[in-house]
Amino acid sequence: MADSEMGEAPLERKQAVYRNLDERFEIQGEKYKGQQYSHIYYVRLHQMRSLLQSFISKWKPHLPVNSVLGLEEGKECIIVGTLYKHMKLKPSVLDEYSKERSAIPLVKPHNFTSTDDHLILEDESGRVKLAGPMLTPLAFVTGIVVAIHGKETSKGDFFVEDFLDAGLPPQVDRPLDSREDKYVAFVSGLSVGSSAFNPLQFQLFVDHITGHLGDENEQRISSQIVRLVIAGNSMHIQQGYFSGQSVAPKDHAKLTEPIRELDIFLTQLVSALPVDIMPGCNDPANYNLPQQPLHRCLFSGASAYNTFTSCTNPHQFDLDNVQFIGTSGQNIDDLYKYSDAKDRIEFMERTLRWRHLAPTAPNTLGCYPYTDKDPFLIESCPHVYFVGNQEKYETRLLQGPDKQSVRLISIPRFCETGVAVMLNLRNLECHALTFSTNL
Amino acid sequence: MSSGDIKGFYRQKKKGGVAKPSTTSSSKKSNSAQTPALVSRTGVIDLKDEYGEEEEVLRQFDMDMKYGPCIGVDRLDRWERAAAMGLHPPPHVRDLLAAPAVVSVTAGTKLRCLWEGRV
Repeated sequence: MADSEMGEAPLERKQAVYRNLDERFEIQGEKYKGQQYSHIYYVRLHQMRSLLQSFISKWKPHLPVNSVLGLEEGKECIIVGTLYKHMKLKPSVLDEYSKERSAIPLVKPHNFTSTDDHLILEDESGRVKLAGPMLTPLAFVTGIVVAIHGKETSKGDFFVEDFLDAGLPPQVDRPLDSREDKYVAFVSGLSVGSSAFNPLQFQLFVDHITGHLGDENEQRISSQIVRLVIAGNSMHIQQGYFSGQSVAPKDHAKLTEPIRELDIFLTQLVSALPVDIMPGCNDPANYNLPQQPLHRCLFSGASAYNTFTSCTNPHQFDLDNVQFIGTSGQNIDDLYKYSDAKDRIEFMERTLRWRHLAPTAPNTLGCYPYTDKDPFLIESCPHVYFVGNQEKYETRLLQGPDKQSVRLISIPRFCETGVAVMLNLRNLECHALTFSTNL
Repeated sequence: MSSGDIKGFYRQKKKGGVAKPSTTSSSKKSNSAQTPALVSRTGVIDLKDEYGEEEEVLRQFDMDMKYGPCIGVDRLDRWERAAAMGLHPPPHVRDLLAAPAVVSVTAGTKLRCLWEGRV
Protein backbone atom coordinates (compact mmCIF):
# COMPACT_ATOMS: atom_id res chain seq x y z
CA MET A 1 0.00 0.00 0.00
CA ALA A 2 2.74 2.44 0.80
CA ASP A 3 5.94 2.60 -1.09
CA SER A 4 8.99 4.15 0.40
CA GLU A 5 12.01 5.77 -1.10
CA MET A 6 15.23 5.87 0.84
CA GLY A 7 14.89 8.50 3.53
CA GLU A 8 11.56 9.90 2.27
CA ALA A 9 8.17 9.52 3.93
CA PRO A 10 6.04 6.80 2.34
CA LEU A 11 3.09 7.85 0.21
CA GLU A 12 -0.17 7.18 1.97
CA ARG A 13 -3.33 6.23 0.19
CA LYS A 14 -6.19 8.64 0.60
CA GLN A 15 -9.30 7.50 2.40
CA ALA A 16 -12.95 8.34 1.96
CA VAL A 17 -15.91 7.71 4.22
CA TYR A 18 -17.94 4.84 2.76
CA ARG A 19 -21.54 3.97 3.45
CA ASN A 20 -23.02 0.87 1.88
CA LEU A 21 -26.71 1.32 1.05
CA ASP A 22 -27.38 -2.11 -0.45
CA GLU A 23 -29.84 -3.14 2.24
CA ARG A 24 -32.86 -2.35 0.07
CA PHE A 25 -31.61 -4.83 -2.55
CA GLU A 26 -31.05 -7.72 -0.18
CA ILE A 27 -33.68 -10.44 -0.19
CA GLN A 28 -32.78 -12.47 2.87
CA GLY A 29 -35.78 -11.11 4.71
CA GLU A 30 -38.23 -11.86 1.92
CA LYS A 31 -40.44 -14.90 2.18
CA TYR A 32 -41.81 -16.28 -1.07
CA LYS A 33 -45.42 -17.27 -0.70
CA GLY A 34 -46.19 -18.22 -4.28
CA GLN A 35 -47.10 -14.73 -5.38
CA GLN A 36 -46.83 -13.51 -8.94
CA TYR A 37 -45.78 -10.16 -10.30
CA SER A 38 -49.04 -8.27 -9.96
CA HIS A 39 -47.95 -6.89 -6.61
CA ILE A 40 -44.75 -5.29 -7.75
CA TYR A 41 -46.62 -3.59 -10.58
CA TYR A 42 -49.27 -2.43 -8.14
CA VAL A 43 -46.73 -0.91 -5.78
CA ARG A 44 -44.90 0.72 -8.68
CA LEU A 45 -48.10 2.20 -10.08
CA HIS A 46 -49.27 3.43 -6.71
CA GLN A 47 -46.00 5.12 -5.78
CA MET A 48 -45.41 6.69 -9.16
CA ARG A 49 -49.03 7.76 -9.50
CA SER A 50 -49.00 9.63 -6.18
CA LEU A 51 -45.85 11.33 -7.39
CA LEU A 52 -47.30 12.22 -10.77
CA GLN A 53 -50.51 13.53 -9.21
CA SER A 54 -48.48 16.20 -7.48
CA PHE A 55 -46.92 17.20 -10.79
CA ILE A 56 -50.15 17.19 -12.77
CA SER A 57 -51.54 20.01 -10.68
CA LYS A 58 -48.68 22.17 -11.98
CA TRP A 59 -48.63 20.74 -15.48
CA LYS A 60 -52.26 20.98 -16.58
CA PRO A 61 -54.36 21.83 -13.55
CA HIS A 62 -57.52 22.51 -15.50
CA LEU A 63 -57.92 18.97 -16.78
CA PRO A 64 -59.58 16.18 -14.80
CA VAL A 65 -57.69 12.99 -13.99
CA ASN A 66 -59.68 9.89 -14.91
CA SER A 67 -59.23 6.20 -14.48
CA VAL A 68 -59.18 4.18 -17.68
CA LEU A 69 -62.64 2.81 -17.06
CA GLY A 70 -63.98 6.29 -16.48
CA LEU A 71 -63.03 7.57 -19.93
CA GLU A 72 -65.70 9.30 -21.94
CA GLU A 73 -65.48 9.66 -25.66
CA GLY A 74 -64.31 13.04 -26.84
CA LYS A 75 -63.71 14.38 -23.36
CA GLU A 76 -60.24 15.76 -22.82
CA CYS A 77 -58.62 14.43 -19.68
CA ILE A 78 -55.49 13.00 -18.13
CA ILE A 79 -54.92 9.35 -17.39
CA VAL A 80 -52.11 7.87 -15.32
CA GLY A 81 -50.99 4.30 -15.66
CA THR A 82 -48.31 1.80 -16.59
CA LEU A 83 -47.24 1.59 -20.20
CA TYR A 84 -47.28 -1.71 -21.98
CA LYS A 85 -45.61 -1.95 -25.35
CA HIS A 86 -47.05 -4.54 -27.63
CA MET A 87 -44.21 -5.88 -29.78
CA LYS A 88 -44.80 -8.44 -32.46
CA LEU A 89 -41.16 -9.48 -32.58
CA LYS A 90 -40.85 -10.00 -28.85
CA PRO A 91 -40.00 -13.64 -28.23
CA SER A 92 -42.77 -15.45 -26.49
CA VAL A 93 -42.41 -18.82 -24.86
CA LEU A 94 -45.71 -19.79 -26.46
CA ASP A 95 -44.19 -19.57 -29.92
CA GLU A 96 -42.58 -22.93 -29.31
CA TYR A 97 -46.00 -24.49 -29.02
CA SER A 98 -47.69 -22.80 -31.96
CA LYS A 99 -48.71 -25.24 -34.66
CA GLU A 100 -47.76 -23.06 -37.58
CA ARG A 101 -44.29 -21.72 -37.95
CA SER A 102 -44.88 -18.14 -38.99
CA ALA A 103 -42.57 -15.95 -40.98
CA ILE A 104 -40.82 -14.80 -37.81
CA PRO A 105 -37.31 -16.26 -37.98
CA LEU A 106 -36.24 -18.70 -35.30
CA VAL A 107 -32.98 -16.87 -34.84
CA LYS A 108 -34.26 -13.80 -33.08
CA PRO A 109 -32.71 -10.46 -33.90
CA HIS A 110 -30.94 -8.74 -31.10
CA ASN A 111 -33.27 -5.82 -31.10
CA PHE A 112 -36.96 -6.64 -31.03
CA THR A 113 -38.44 -3.31 -32.03
CA SER A 114 -40.54 -3.01 -35.14
CA THR A 115 -42.58 -0.28 -36.75
CA ASP A 116 -45.75 -2.15 -35.77
CA ASP A 117 -45.22 -1.71 -32.03
CA HIS A 118 -47.91 0.15 -30.20
CA LEU A 119 -48.37 1.36 -26.66
CA ILE A 120 -51.14 0.58 -24.23
CA LEU A 121 -51.78 2.35 -20.95
CA GLU A 122 -53.01 0.27 -18.06
CA ASP A 123 -54.24 1.00 -14.57
CA GLU A 124 -56.23 -1.07 -12.06
CA SER A 125 -59.47 -0.57 -13.88
CA GLY A 126 -58.47 -1.37 -17.44
CA ARG A 127 -56.28 -0.69 -20.41
CA VAL A 128 -56.53 1.53 -23.43
CA LYS A 129 -54.54 1.67 -26.63
CA LEU A 130 -52.62 4.87 -27.19
CA ALA A 131 -52.78 6.45 -30.61
CA GLY A 132 -51.51 9.58 -32.22
CA PRO A 133 -48.20 10.92 -33.48
CA MET A 134 -47.06 12.41 -30.15
CA LEU A 135 -45.80 9.17 -28.67
CA THR A 136 -43.25 7.16 -30.59
CA PRO A 137 -43.24 3.62 -29.21
CA LEU A 138 -39.57 3.31 -30.10
CA ALA A 139 -38.48 5.36 -27.14
CA PHE A 140 -40.67 3.63 -24.56
CA VAL A 141 -40.71 0.26 -22.84
CA THR A 142 -43.21 -1.73 -20.83
CA GLY A 143 -43.26 -0.91 -17.16
CA ILE A 144 -42.90 2.86 -16.93
CA VAL A 145 -45.58 4.95 -15.30
CA VAL A 146 -46.60 8.11 -17.11
CA ALA A 147 -49.44 10.61 -17.24
CA ILE A 148 -51.08 11.09 -20.63
CA HIS A 149 -53.21 14.00 -21.73
CA GLY A 150 -55.61 13.34 -24.53
CA LYS A 151 -59.07 12.11 -25.33
CA GLU A 152 -60.82 8.91 -26.22
CA THR A 153 -61.63 8.47 -29.90
CA SER A 154 -64.65 6.78 -31.42
CA LYS A 155 -62.52 3.72 -32.18
CA GLY A 156 -61.87 3.23 -28.48
CA ASP A 157 -58.25 4.38 -28.63
CA PHE A 158 -56.88 7.20 -26.57
CA PHE A 159 -55.52 9.96 -28.77
CA VAL A 160 -52.43 11.38 -27.11
CA GLU A 161 -51.88 15.12 -27.08
CA ASP A 162 -49.16 15.32 -24.46
CA PHE A 163 -47.44 13.15 -21.89
CA LEU A 164 -45.61 13.65 -18.64
CA ASP A 165 -43.01 11.48 -16.98
CA ALA A 166 -41.75 11.96 -13.47
CA GLY A 167 -38.47 13.60 -14.46
CA LEU A 168 -35.26 13.54 -12.50
CA PRO A 169 -35.78 13.02 -8.77
CA PRO A 170 -34.59 15.68 -6.32
CA GLN A 171 -30.94 15.54 -5.42
CA VAL A 172 -29.18 16.09 -2.15
CA ASP A 173 -26.43 18.68 -2.54
CA ARG A 174 -23.00 17.33 -3.06
CA PRO A 175 -20.35 18.57 -0.63
CA LEU A 176 -18.35 21.13 -2.58
CA ASP A 177 -15.70 21.96 -0.03
CA SER A 178 -13.19 19.22 -0.76
CA ARG A 179 -9.91 20.54 -1.97
CA GLU A 180 -8.05 17.35 -2.63
CA ASP A 181 -8.47 15.02 -5.59
CA LYS A 182 -9.80 11.62 -4.66
CA TYR A 183 -10.47 9.07 -7.34
CA VAL A 184 -12.79 6.12 -7.64
CA ALA A 185 -11.79 3.49 -10.17
CA PHE A 186 -14.38 1.46 -12.08
CA VAL A 187 -13.82 -1.68 -14.06
CA SER A 188 -16.15 -4.38 -15.34
CA GLY A 189 -16.28 -7.42 -17.59
CA LEU A 190 -12.96 -8.89 -16.47
CA SER A 191 -14.15 -12.35 -17.55
CA VAL A 192 -11.36 -14.23 -15.79
CA GLY A 193 -11.38 -17.73 -17.22
CA SER A 194 -12.62 -16.83 -20.68
CA SER A 195 -10.49 -16.94 -23.77
CA ALA A 196 -10.72 -13.17 -24.09
CA PHE A 197 -9.07 -12.64 -20.73
CA ASN A 198 -5.48 -11.38 -20.90
CA PRO A 199 -3.79 -11.96 -17.53
CA LEU A 200 -0.93 -9.62 -18.29
CA GLN A 201 -3.28 -6.81 -19.14
CA PHE A 202 -5.21 -7.23 -15.91
CA GLN A 203 -2.00 -7.59 -13.93
CA LEU A 204 -0.88 -4.25 -15.33
CA PHE A 205 -4.13 -2.77 -14.09
CA VAL A 206 -3.72 -4.31 -10.63
CA ASP A 207 -0.14 -3.11 -10.38
CA HIS A 208 -1.08 0.40 -11.40
CA ILE A 209 -3.96 0.66 -8.94
CA THR A 210 -1.94 -0.75 -6.07
CA GLY A 211 0.98 1.54 -6.78
CA HIS A 212 3.51 -1.09 -7.76
CA LEU A 213 4.04 0.41 -11.15
CA GLY A 214 5.75 3.52 -12.28
CA ASP A 215 7.78 6.25 -10.67
CA GLU A 216 6.84 8.47 -7.80
CA ASN A 217 4.54 10.66 -9.85
CA GLU A 218 2.53 7.75 -11.01
CA GLN A 219 2.44 6.31 -7.53
CA ARG A 220 1.12 9.60 -6.28
CA ILE A 221 -1.75 9.33 -8.72
CA SER A 222 -2.43 5.79 -7.55
CA SER A 223 -2.39 6.86 -3.91
CA GLN A 224 -5.34 9.12 -4.66
CA ILE A 225 -7.56 6.22 -5.63
CA VAL A 226 -9.80 5.63 -2.64
CA ARG A 227 -11.92 2.77 -3.93
CA LEU A 228 -12.24 0.27 -6.76
CA VAL A 229 -15.67 -0.85 -7.97
CA ILE A 230 -15.83 -4.00 -10.08
CA ALA A 231 -19.14 -3.83 -11.89
CA GLY A 232 -19.94 -7.41 -12.74
CA ASN A 233 -18.88 -10.33 -14.96
CA SER A 234 -15.60 -10.80 -13.20
CA MET A 235 -15.42 -14.46 -14.07
CA HIS A 236 -16.41 -16.65 -16.91
CA ILE A 237 -17.14 -20.34 -16.49
CA GLN A 238 -17.80 -22.29 -19.64
CA GLN A 239 -21.52 -22.66 -20.29
CA GLY A 240 -21.15 -26.35 -21.01
CA TYR A 241 -20.68 -27.06 -17.32
CA PHE A 242 -24.06 -25.56 -16.48
CA SER A 243 -26.07 -28.03 -18.50
CA GLY A 244 -27.07 -29.97 -15.42
CA GLN A 245 -25.05 -33.05 -16.21
CA SER A 246 -22.53 -34.13 -13.67
CA VAL A 247 -19.01 -32.87 -14.21
CA ALA A 248 -16.23 -35.44 -14.51
CA PRO A 249 -13.60 -35.20 -11.75
CA LYS A 250 -10.93 -34.23 -14.21
CA ASP A 251 -13.08 -31.27 -15.24
CA HIS A 252 -13.73 -30.08 -11.72
CA ALA A 253 -10.69 -27.87 -11.96
CA LYS A 254 -12.19 -26.07 -14.95
CA LEU A 255 -15.09 -24.99 -12.75
CA THR A 256 -12.97 -23.60 -9.98
CA GLU A 257 -9.98 -22.33 -11.97
CA PRO A 258 -11.52 -18.99 -12.96
CA ILE A 259 -12.72 -18.31 -9.42
CA ARG A 260 -9.35 -19.13 -7.94
CA GLU A 261 -7.54 -16.98 -10.46
CA LEU A 262 -9.86 -14.09 -9.75
CA ASP A 263 -9.33 -14.53 -6.03
CA ILE A 264 -5.57 -14.23 -6.47
CA PHE A 265 -5.95 -10.94 -8.31
CA LEU A 266 -8.53 -9.71 -5.84
CA THR A 267 -6.30 -10.48 -2.88
CA GLN A 268 -3.62 -8.26 -4.40
CA LEU A 269 -6.18 -5.52 -4.85
CA VAL A 270 -7.84 -5.70 -1.43
CA SER A 271 -4.51 -5.67 0.32
CA ALA A 272 -3.98 -2.23 -1.16
CA LEU A 273 -7.35 -0.48 -1.25
CA PRO A 274 -11.07 -1.04 -0.57
CA VAL A 275 -12.78 -2.99 -3.32
CA ASP A 276 -16.49 -3.43 -4.06
CA ILE A 277 -17.35 -6.40 -6.25
CA MET A 278 -20.76 -6.71 -7.86
CA PRO A 279 -22.25 -9.79 -9.52
CA GLY A 280 -23.06 -9.71 -13.23
CA CYS A 281 -25.03 -11.91 -15.59
CA ASN A 282 -22.14 -14.37 -16.01
CA ASP A 283 -21.16 -14.59 -12.37
CA PRO A 284 -22.20 -17.38 -9.98
CA ALA A 285 -25.05 -15.42 -8.44
CA ASN A 286 -28.81 -15.60 -8.81
CA TYR A 287 -30.32 -14.70 -12.15
CA ASN A 288 -33.14 -12.44 -10.98
CA LEU A 289 -32.53 -8.85 -10.10
CA PRO A 290 -31.55 -7.70 -7.54
CA GLN A 291 -28.62 -10.08 -7.71
CA GLN A 292 -27.38 -10.99 -4.28
CA PRO A 293 -23.75 -10.47 -3.25
CA LEU A 294 -21.27 -13.10 -4.38
CA HIS A 295 -20.62 -15.46 -1.53
CA ARG A 296 -17.51 -14.94 0.56
CA CYS A 297 -16.56 -18.58 0.30
CA LEU A 298 -15.74 -18.01 -3.38
CA PHE A 299 -12.98 -15.64 -2.36
CA SER A 300 -11.09 -17.45 0.35
CA GLY A 301 -8.13 -15.15 -0.02
CA ALA A 302 -9.73 -11.79 -0.54
CA SER A 303 -12.57 -12.16 1.98
CA ALA A 304 -10.07 -12.27 4.81
CA TYR A 305 -9.50 -8.55 4.34
CA ASN A 306 -11.93 -5.99 5.69
CA THR A 307 -11.40 -3.92 2.56
CA PHE A 308 -13.27 -6.54 0.57
CA THR A 309 -16.98 -5.82 0.13
CA SER A 310 -19.25 -8.11 -1.84
CA CYS A 311 -22.20 -6.07 -3.10
CA THR A 312 -25.58 -6.53 -4.68
CA ASN A 313 -26.47 -5.64 -8.23
CA PRO A 314 -27.76 -2.86 -8.36
CA HIS A 315 -25.29 -1.33 -5.97
CA GLN A 316 -25.87 1.84 -4.02
CA PHE A 317 -23.39 3.56 -1.76
CA ASP A 318 -21.98 6.92 -0.88
CA LEU A 319 -18.38 8.03 -0.54
CA ASP A 320 -17.73 11.26 1.32
CA ASN A 321 -21.44 12.00 0.85
CA VAL A 322 -21.30 11.68 -2.92
CA GLN A 323 -24.20 9.38 -3.88
CA PHE A 324 -23.46 6.50 -6.23
CA ILE A 325 -25.76 4.02 -7.83
CA GLY A 326 -24.89 1.50 -10.51
CA THR A 327 -25.62 -1.82 -12.12
CA SER A 328 -23.72 -4.50 -13.97
CA GLY A 329 -25.51 -3.67 -17.20
CA GLN A 330 -28.56 -5.93 -17.35
CA ASN A 331 -31.03 -3.06 -17.06
CA ILE A 332 -29.54 -1.05 -19.91
CA ASP A 333 -28.94 -4.10 -22.08
CA ASP A 334 -32.60 -4.98 -21.75
CA LEU A 335 -33.63 -1.45 -22.70
CA TYR A 336 -31.44 -1.76 -25.75
CA LYS A 337 -33.32 -4.89 -26.81
CA TYR A 338 -36.77 -3.35 -26.52
CA SER A 339 -36.31 0.27 -27.45
CA ASP A 340 -33.99 2.56 -29.33
CA ALA A 341 -31.79 5.49 -28.42
CA LYS A 342 -28.79 7.17 -29.93
CA ASP A 343 -26.39 5.74 -27.34
CA ARG A 344 -26.30 3.80 -24.09
CA ILE A 345 -25.99 6.98 -22.09
CA GLU A 346 -29.37 8.04 -23.40
CA PHE A 347 -30.90 4.86 -22.00
CA MET A 348 -29.37 5.72 -18.65
CA GLU A 349 -30.83 9.22 -18.84
CA ARG A 350 -34.23 7.77 -19.55
CA THR A 351 -34.13 5.47 -16.54
CA LEU A 352 -33.42 8.50 -14.38
CA ARG A 353 -36.26 10.48 -15.92
CA TRP A 354 -38.61 7.57 -15.43
CA ARG A 355 -37.23 7.25 -11.89
CA HIS A 356 -36.83 3.51 -12.28
CA LEU A 357 -33.57 1.58 -12.60
CA ALA A 358 -35.02 -1.36 -14.47
CA PRO A 359 -38.47 -0.59 -15.90
CA THR A 360 -38.55 -3.72 -18.04
CA ALA A 361 -38.37 -5.85 -14.90
CA PRO A 362 -40.29 -8.11 -14.43
CA ASN A 363 -41.63 -8.11 -17.98
CA THR A 364 -38.49 -9.12 -19.86
CA LEU A 365 -35.86 -8.86 -17.15
CA GLY A 366 -35.88 -11.35 -14.30
CA CYS A 367 -36.84 -9.86 -10.98
CA TYR A 368 -37.93 -11.03 -7.53
CA PRO A 369 -41.72 -10.86 -7.05
CA TYR A 370 -41.84 -8.33 -4.24
CA THR A 371 -45.20 -7.83 -2.59
CA ASP A 372 -44.78 -4.61 -0.71
CA LYS A 373 -42.09 -2.58 -2.42
CA ASP A 374 -40.31 -1.92 -5.68
CA PRO A 375 -36.66 -1.39 -4.75
CA PHE A 376 -35.70 -0.17 -8.23
CA LEU A 377 -37.61 3.08 -7.88
CA ILE A 378 -35.16 5.94 -7.65
CA GLU A 379 -36.25 8.30 -4.92
CA SER A 380 -33.25 10.55 -4.72
CA CYS A 381 -31.08 11.47 -7.67
CA PRO A 382 -27.55 10.08 -7.39
CA HIS A 383 -24.48 12.13 -8.16
CA VAL A 384 -22.88 9.30 -10.08
CA TYR A 385 -24.75 6.65 -12.05
CA PHE A 386 -22.63 3.89 -13.58
CA VAL A 387 -23.43 0.89 -15.71
CA GLY A 388 -20.97 -1.92 -16.37
CA ASN A 389 -20.30 -4.35 -19.21
CA GLN A 390 -21.02 -1.97 -22.03
CA GLU A 391 -19.52 -1.76 -25.49
CA LYS A 392 -17.43 1.33 -24.97
CA TYR A 393 -16.50 3.99 -22.49
CA GLU A 394 -18.91 6.91 -22.56
CA THR A 395 -19.70 9.59 -20.08
CA ARG A 396 -21.92 12.63 -19.80
CA LEU A 397 -22.81 15.12 -17.13
CA LEU A 398 -26.58 15.33 -17.02
CA GLN A 399 -28.08 18.56 -15.76
CA GLY A 400 -31.57 18.48 -14.36
CA PRO A 401 -34.20 21.22 -14.17
CA ASP A 402 -33.87 21.42 -10.39
CA LYS A 403 -30.11 21.94 -10.30
CA GLN A 404 -29.47 18.22 -10.30
CA SER A 405 -26.15 17.21 -11.74
CA VAL A 406 -25.43 13.55 -12.46
CA ARG A 407 -22.30 12.02 -13.88
CA LEU A 408 -23.40 9.14 -16.15
CA ILE A 409 -20.71 6.55 -16.82
CA SER A 410 -20.81 3.62 -19.21
CA ILE A 411 -18.01 1.23 -18.22
CA PRO A 412 -16.70 -0.95 -21.05
CA ARG A 413 -15.81 -4.61 -20.78
CA PHE A 414 -12.20 -4.79 -19.69
CA CYS A 415 -11.45 -8.11 -21.39
CA GLU A 416 -12.34 -6.59 -24.76
CA THR A 417 -11.15 -3.02 -24.44
CA GLY A 418 -8.58 -2.86 -21.65
CA VAL A 419 -10.26 0.31 -20.45
CA ALA A 420 -11.02 1.22 -16.85
CA VAL A 421 -12.63 4.45 -15.68
CA MET A 422 -11.42 6.94 -13.11
CA LEU A 423 -13.77 9.41 -11.48
CA ASN A 424 -12.60 12.41 -9.50
CA LEU A 425 -14.81 12.85 -6.43
CA ARG A 426 -13.96 16.51 -6.14
CA ASN A 427 -15.44 17.68 -9.44
CA LEU A 428 -17.07 14.50 -10.86
CA GLU A 429 -14.75 14.55 -13.84
CA CYS A 430 -14.09 11.29 -15.53
CA HIS A 431 -11.27 9.89 -17.58
CA ALA A 432 -10.32 6.52 -19.00
CA LEU A 433 -7.32 4.37 -18.18
CA THR A 434 -6.27 2.17 -21.04
CA PHE A 435 -4.02 -0.84 -20.57
CA SER A 436 -2.47 -2.53 -23.51
CA THR A 437 -0.02 -5.36 -23.86
CA ASN A 438 0.58 -4.88 -27.55
CA LEU A 439 4.19 -3.99 -27.97
CA MET B 1 -61.30 -22.97 -10.31
CA SER B 2 -61.07 -26.62 -9.32
CA SER B 3 -63.74 -28.53 -11.22
CA GLY B 4 -63.80 -31.24 -8.59
CA ASP B 5 -65.81 -28.89 -6.41
CA ILE B 6 -68.82 -28.85 -8.70
CA LYS B 7 -70.63 -31.25 -6.39
CA GLY B 8 -70.21 -28.88 -3.52
CA PHE B 9 -71.52 -26.01 -5.56
CA TYR B 10 -74.57 -27.65 -7.10
CA ARG B 11 -75.80 -29.43 -4.05
CA GLN B 12 -77.37 -32.82 -4.63
CA LYS B 13 -79.60 -32.64 -1.60
CA LYS B 14 -80.73 -29.84 0.65
CA LYS B 15 -78.47 -29.31 3.57
CA GLY B 16 -79.74 -29.58 7.12
CA GLY B 17 -80.58 -26.72 9.42
CA VAL B 18 -77.19 -26.59 11.10
CA ALA B 19 -74.38 -25.01 9.18
CA LYS B 20 -71.67 -27.59 8.81
CA PRO B 21 -68.09 -26.51 9.52
CA SER B 22 -66.49 -25.78 6.20
CA THR B 23 -63.21 -27.11 4.89
CA THR B 24 -60.83 -24.84 3.08
CA SER B 25 -61.63 -25.29 -0.56
CA SER B 26 -64.76 -27.29 -1.11
CA SER B 27 -67.77 -25.36 0.00
CA LYS B 28 -66.68 -21.78 0.29
CA LYS B 29 -67.90 -20.72 -3.10
CA SER B 30 -69.30 -17.25 -3.07
CA ASN B 31 -73.05 -17.51 -3.31
CA SER B 32 -73.73 -13.92 -2.46
CA ALA B 33 -75.03 -13.18 -5.94
CA GLN B 34 -77.36 -16.03 -6.77
CA THR B 35 -78.25 -16.09 -10.43
CA PRO B 36 -81.96 -16.51 -11.19
CA ALA B 37 -81.19 -19.79 -12.98
CA LEU B 38 -79.69 -21.29 -9.85
CA VAL B 39 -82.56 -20.19 -7.69
CA SER B 40 -85.10 -21.82 -9.92
CA ARG B 41 -83.02 -25.00 -10.07
CA THR B 42 -82.72 -25.64 -6.39
CA GLY B 43 -85.98 -23.96 -5.53
CA VAL B 44 -84.63 -22.20 -2.50
CA ILE B 45 -82.40 -19.16 -2.09
CA ASP B 46 -79.42 -20.12 -0.02
CA LEU B 47 -79.49 -17.45 2.62
CA LYS B 48 -77.41 -19.13 5.26
CA ASP B 49 -74.14 -20.03 3.62
CA GLU B 50 -71.23 -21.74 5.20
CA TYR B 51 -69.30 -18.60 5.53
CA GLY B 52 -70.41 -16.04 8.02
CA GLU B 53 -70.72 -12.33 7.95
CA GLU B 54 -67.14 -12.05 9.09
CA GLU B 55 -65.90 -13.78 5.99
CA GLU B 56 -68.12 -11.57 3.84
CA VAL B 57 -66.42 -8.47 5.20
CA LEU B 58 -63.04 -10.03 4.55
CA ARG B 59 -64.03 -10.92 1.01
CA GLN B 60 -65.11 -7.38 0.34
CA PHE B 61 -61.68 -6.30 1.54
CA ASP B 62 -60.13 -8.82 -0.85
CA MET B 63 -62.11 -7.54 -3.79
CA ASP B 64 -61.42 -3.87 -3.19
CA MET B 65 -59.23 -2.76 -6.06
CA LYS B 66 -57.84 0.16 -4.17
CA TYR B 67 -55.59 -2.06 -2.07
CA GLY B 68 -54.12 -3.94 -4.97
CA PRO B 69 -54.25 -7.58 -5.99
CA CYS B 70 -55.25 -10.05 -3.31
CA ILE B 71 -53.83 -13.32 -4.68
CA GLY B 72 -50.51 -14.42 -3.33
CA VAL B 73 -50.42 -12.37 -0.15
CA ASP B 74 -51.95 -13.12 3.21
CA ARG B 75 -54.86 -10.84 4.11
CA LEU B 76 -53.00 -9.50 7.10
CA ASP B 77 -49.93 -8.69 4.99
CA ARG B 78 -52.13 -6.97 2.45
CA TRP B 79 -53.78 -4.91 5.18
CA GLU B 80 -50.36 -3.95 6.58
CA ARG B 81 -49.16 -3.03 3.13
CA ALA B 82 -52.21 -0.85 2.53
CA ALA B 83 -51.67 0.85 5.87
CA ALA B 84 -47.98 1.46 5.11
CA MET B 85 -48.90 3.00 1.76
CA GLY B 86 -51.22 5.45 3.47
CA LEU B 87 -54.44 4.07 2.03
CA HIS B 88 -56.25 3.93 5.41
CA PRO B 89 -57.73 0.44 5.19
CA PRO B 90 -60.71 -0.10 7.50
CA PRO B 91 -59.50 -0.92 11.02
CA HIS B 92 -62.30 -3.39 11.72
CA VAL B 93 -60.88 -5.68 9.04
CA ARG B 94 -57.61 -5.68 10.93
CA ASP B 95 -59.42 -6.60 14.13
CA LEU B 96 -61.14 -9.50 12.39
CA LEU B 97 -57.81 -10.78 11.13
CA ALA B 98 -55.98 -10.36 14.38
CA ALA B 99 -58.63 -11.91 16.61
CA PRO B 100 -58.23 -15.63 17.29
CA ALA B 101 -60.75 -17.71 15.38
CA VAL B 102 -63.64 -19.24 17.26
CA VAL B 103 -64.05 -22.28 15.05
CA SER B 104 -60.75 -24.11 14.87
CA VAL B 105 -61.31 -25.52 11.40
CA THR B 106 -61.56 -22.12 9.84
CA ALA B 107 -58.69 -20.76 11.94
CA GLY B 108 -56.09 -20.61 9.23
CA THR B 109 -58.43 -20.05 6.36
CA LYS B 110 -59.57 -16.52 7.05
CA LEU B 111 -56.00 -15.32 6.75
CA ARG B 112 -55.84 -16.41 3.17
CA CYS B 113 -57.63 -14.58 0.44
CA LEU B 114 -60.75 -15.62 -1.40
CA TRP B 115 -58.94 -17.18 -4.33
CA GLU B 116 -56.32 -19.09 -2.32
CA GLY B 117 -55.94 -22.62 -3.57
CA ARG B 118 -58.55 -22.15 -6.29
CA VAL B 119 -56.70 -20.23 -8.97
